[in-house]
Amino acid sequence: MDRFRVTMTMGSPIVSNGGYMTLDALLAALIFERTGDLERAHSEIPLQRTQGLWHASGAVFEKQDDASVSFVANLQARHDLDLDLIARNKAGNTHTAMGLTRRRDFGAVMNSYRMLTVPEITWYAEGDVQTVEHLLHDVGFIGKRRASGYGQVATVRLEPDELDGVTGFFGEPLRPVPVELFKGDQTALKADAAWRPAYWHPENRAICFVPEAP
Amino acid sequence: MNTFTFFNEYFGKYLVRQEGAPHEAAWRALSSNHRLAKGTEGRLASGWAIVRPRGGSSVQLKLAAAGLLYDDRTRVEAFLDELSHWDGREPRIFLMFDKAPVPIGNLFMTVDRRAIRICSPAGVETFDLEREPTPESGGIQKALWKRRIAA
Repeated sequence: MDRFRVTMTMGSPIVSNGGYMTLDALLAALIFERTGDLERAHSEIPLQRTQGLWHASGAVFEKQDDASVSFVANLQARHDLDLDLIARNKAGNTHTAMGLTRRRDFGAVMNSYRMLTVPEITWYAEGDVQTVEHLLHDVGFIGKRRASGYGQVATVRLEPDELDGVTGFFGEPLRPVPVELFKGDQTALKADAAWRPAYWHPENRAICFVPEAP
Repeated sequence: MNTFTFFNEYFGKYLVRQEGAPHEAAWRALSSNHRLAKGTEGRLASGWAIVRPRGGSSVQLKLAAAGLLYDDRTRVEAFLDELSHWDGREPRIFLMFDKAPVPIGNLFMTVDRRAIRICSPAGVETFDLEREPTPESGGIQKALWKRRIAA
């Protein structure tokens, strides 16, 4: 297993919905894209793992701008309603005004995200550098709203490094690490956070030492 | 103890049966109807709650459930009072309710004064209690800061 850092130069702002954007999460997503196998995506990440903790840092970057971006999706029912099933008014006609439920379920929905303008993103990790390089060599976009052109990756560079992806030079956490697994600075920031993939799953949360927000 | 076990142990168990996975029971507590003190039923659709492991959890909505403390202060008064007396050793959960239930993905424990987390249906506001809010900061952080400065 090698220690290395990954540096991506970005061609467009990245859209995020919070979180630490760890390298293991990115690699798991790439494995899933290629295999369609969720189990493999979470278990075959080519990185060192200790007691379930992947040796892969969160994204490290200096932002030039931090803004909000919103998208509107017009949701529509996929079926036609049978008018015989709808209550009629006193005149014998169906009500045609769109009710609150229909508006909520099938109307326009606006989603807001955080948009970061960052020239470069760096991750530190320990693992099989060749397999990681193979997974990353043709990655085009990262983050959310990739199909809208956000998070375009211009270049990817892998270089040897001293850090293991878990603890920094001053003992600070480079990623969420459960309190009982962390050997670094015990005065570091603590938060309730997901520490292993799937990061969205509530059962993968614990009290962790976490990096300070960039 | 993870977020959902903590929430259920000190809050949710007074409202719903503890069946299934902890996050499922937590969701039922946040989204189901509960018996109110006035005899009708209603969801946690307004007010606030503070979940704490000792001394009982507080809730503004007058529920019929025994085991919870009812507190009619505003959320700013209650949160500020809690935070000013909290030593940071044991977790807390700060909740603001609204018409939509708080999704379990927005349920987080606060374990550090430098990362206070206020959970609501709209999202999670995270801030350092000792830092002055910026124009981009969330509403509750600004309200707490303003009240602290005025005190």
